[in-house]
Amino acid sequence: MAFLLHSPLCLLIAQLVIIITTARVLGVVARKIHQPLVIAEVVAGILLGPSLLGLVAPDVKAALFPAASLGILGMLSQVGLILFMFLVGLEMDLGMLRGRGRASVLISHTSIIVPFSLGAVLALYIYPTLMPQGVAFSSFTLFMGAAMSITAFPVLARILTERRLLRTKVGAVTITCAAVDDVTAWCILAFVVSIVRATALTEAVVTTILAVGYTLAMLLLVRPFLARMAARGTGREGLTQNVVAVTFVLLFLSAWATELIGIHALFGAFLMGAIIPREGGFARILAEKLEDIVVIVLLPTFFALSGLRTQIGLLNTPEAWIQCLLIVLVACLGKFGGSYVAARWTGLGWRESAALGILMNTRGLMELIVLNIGLELGVISPTLFTMMVLMALVTTFMTTPILQVVYPPELLARELAEPPQPDTRVTLPEGFSVLMCVAFDRSGPGMAQVAGALIGKQTASDRLYGLQLHRPAERTSTLLEEEDNAESPGALEPLLARSRDHGLSVRPMSFVSGEPARDICSVAEVKDVDLILLGWHKTLFGQAFLGGTVHDVIKDARADVAVLVSRDLGAVRRVLVPFCGSPHDEVAVRIARRMAFAVGAEVTVLRIRFRNADAPHIDAFLKDMAADRVTIVEAIDDGNKAVDLVVKAAEGQDLVVLGSAPLSPDQIMTLCPNSFLVVHHRERPEPAQRRPRPLTEPQTDAVAHA
Amino acid sequence: MHFGATLRLLRVDAGVSLRALAQKIGVSSAYLSRVENGHDQAPTPDRLMAIARALDLPPTLLIDLAQRVSPFVARYLEDVPSASYLFLEIARRKLNAAQLARVHAFLAAEFPARSASRSDAPRLHELLAPERVLLKLSCSYLGDAIDVAAVRLANAAPGLNAAAIAGEIRERERESPTGIGHGVAVPHALAAHIRPVAALVTLARPLQVATPDDLPLQMLLVIVGGGQAPLELLARAARLATPDTVAQLCQATTPDAALAHVRHVESEFG
Repeated sequence: MAFLLHSPLCLLIAQLVIIITTARVLGVVARKIHQPLVIAEVVAGILLGPSLLGLVAPDVKAALFPAASLGILGMLSQVGLILFMFLVGLEMDLGMLRGRGRASVLISHTSIIVPFSLGAVLALYIYPTLMPQGVAFSSFTLFMGAAMSITAFPVLARILTERRLLRTKVGAVTITCAAVDDVTAWCILAFVVSIVRATALTEAVVTTILAVGYTLAMLLLVRPFLARMAARGTGREGLTQNVVAVTFVLLFLSAWATELIGIHALFGAFLMGAIIPREGGFARILAEKLEDIVVIVLLPTFFALSGLRTQIGLLNTPEAWIQCLLIVLVACLGKFGGSYVAARWTGLGWRESAALGILMNTRGLMELIVLNIGLELGVISPTLFTMMVLMALVTTFMTTPILQVVYPPELLARELAEPPQPDTRVTLPEGFSVLMCVAFDRSGPGMAQVAGALIGKQTASDRLYGLQLHRPAERTSTLLEEEDNAESPGALEPLLARSRDHGLSVRPMSFVSGEPARDICSVAEVKDVDLILLGWHKTLFGQAFLGGTVHDVIKDARADVAVLVSRDLGAVRRVLVPFCGSPHDEVAVRIARRMAFAVGAEVTVLRIRFRNADAPHIDAFLKDMAADRVTIVEAIDDGNKAVDLVVKAAEGQDLVVLGSAPLSPDQIMTLCPNSFLVVHHRERPEPAQRRPRPLTEPQTDAVAHA
Repeated sequence: MHFGATLRLLRVDAGVSLRALAQKIGVSSAYLSRVENGHDQAPTPDRLMAIARALDLPPTLLIDLAQRVSPFVARYLEDVPSASYLFLEIARRKLNAAQLARVHAFLAAEFPARSASRSDAPRLHELLAPERVLLKLSCSYLGDAIDVAAVRLANAAPGLNAAAIAGEIRERERESPTGIGHGVAVPHALAAHIRPVAALVTLARPLQVATPDDLPLQMLLVIVGGGQAPLELLARAARLATPDTVAQLCQATTPDAALAHVRHVESEFG
């Protein structure tokens, strides 16, 4: 034995071999019982320490881990921790905190405040027995609070990924809260450490000021520098070694600076990781380069060291075990209870809240890191250290099984399969796209009005296209030239101008087409629009309404078609929808309802009942459509008077949205002076498989040369 | 036409990395990159032959594109010095394309070629049709132009829908833009199992997109499918990117006129 371990280096290597092997072997077991690897590593450390190996084979333990060798092992594990905290910072994308809303903020704050307070109260109870000599009570209390409010972000992230929870709502909220928690807890810890180390109050103040200054410098100076360096150094071949070297030097400088300031070196490493730019795969490549060596080789040394310091033998009295139990209880109560109540408060279901609470309760190795800092500082005694390690172990251990009960895999599968539908009753369905086909100058403004009324405030998912088709030059027959509606070359311009007034961005297209109807349908298909908007003008020698190109488009289009008959259509404020129950009428109601939500138009649905017609599905549909600004008026058609009813109701309306059947648009339009939007419904072949437009679309697009 | 950009286009579609190609032809990748970016001259005929072999293209096509003298001609002139006198005479008379065609016809009648070494890949004008010539398209985004072209292409390719074609072409365009200089881009989706079809689009308003020579786009040749030799098709399309041809095609008012011009230009290359 002595021969094998004759030099410090041999000893260190042997220690590494044993530590890594034990951790990995236990890791296999942990995986069998669905526990995170951390559990195995912590247990491995404890087994190698005085709690087991020291009891069973004291000689072996003394030979393997002599007190003199612990210094070297300690340094190695510190370097490992610095790198690991850097990784944790890397994994924590602060960008994802943005826009997660009130729920996450409330939950994360509660899940810090409650355990912190409970920890402080607990400190009151246990300080007579467990507080080391010569420590200020305030420091002890603060430290207990901070130690209680830690959440293990890395372990959590791994559990969520493994259980495919990241894409669920609970997962998203939890990971955000955990990130906020961790950042906050580390700030608190940095503060506590500075207070403990400071001998006088002034010193603490100076430390705090320095820490704030340091953080600002990192954010305002180092971050832009890193961004620039990452942009230059990340090529197709990955990072150049120089860039990696500079990053590591900065990392160690940062850790050094925080250690000098008096907050812990780990804080500097963490902050460094958090400010590494995410763009261009810089962070990912760094993480990939580091992860294996840190997680497999260096981190277990830290666990082993923690295990060596954990002396379960110290808990030799019933009181000690009761205190330990109390610590575990308080920890769970604070973290689980706090998060659960806050989550319920924000409106999550009990299952989700419980899942969130139990996840937040995971303390894993972050707690261990904190405890080791505390032990080194002398804020906590070895006995308390042991209790707290047990607490961390228990809270981490119970996460997976309880989660299994609270959030069974079948339930999870169901939730993943059916993402919750947004409530279309109160909000606009996401994204609406319209293809506006103009042939004449004067059709433009009216179309822009309608588009504006349909879209309201344009978002990225609302798409508007303006299309003008020119007839090929040689096919302009004498007959067409005589028609007084001569085409205008720039018919899109008025449409674009009016759209700009409404704050809408329309993508114009125009080209020569011999078969306008076919091209309109094809463009609508390739652009995957919801509605084709056509203009129509009554010519002197009235061809039947919905004839010509309009007729062909209606026949061939794979989308709903709306034909606008604009009679100086201004702002759309009052809309009438005659409703007889045809599919076209239903689309007309939907379109009008869209206007009600988008621009606050007052919509009147004139429901015309025919005698002895009973239609429950129509009732259901109208009930579904009912909303604040949608009024439903009933009228009974006793003997072919529907047209008269509509004409009467149309008085004072800005726009009449009319299904193309069963009422005759032709007849109604000759009788009313209003503007009309005649809607024709088209059954889509497979409505469920709407192809979402790739988000990347604008990348191939460049703005036109003006 | 920007030779470097065309070379990059062909290389990307052949699925060969810059480094791999440089290694194959025995130059440094830095040099090849400079060529592709137009910072260095087109390579020597010998290197072009090597590139053509590496990309599986007919060597003459690449040499044509680089406007270099074919090594074949160079060797012939060495062997038969009096032939260079004939070239000189032709040059002195500044024969234009039509006159050259007459000389060519005379040659063909008097001295029939021993073996027809013409590749059997289709000529570009054979892939076009009047309904796939879109004149004076005006739009603000390259993507829209591609979509419209896809509409016309879909009509000619049974079993394909416009959205799928447009999606493929956009994807390829995103990977690496297909501008080849002088206002021409060749957006395409190559697939060996689809009979090749092409669409010609002239733009009423030039599109300001990133192109190798920073000239705005005026004309698109959109190619779908490819059959046996898809790269050859692209290389042939690239030959149309001369200032003259682009100007002529952009002025065409009927599809037939545009098609006739394409046919004419292609006949000049033999």
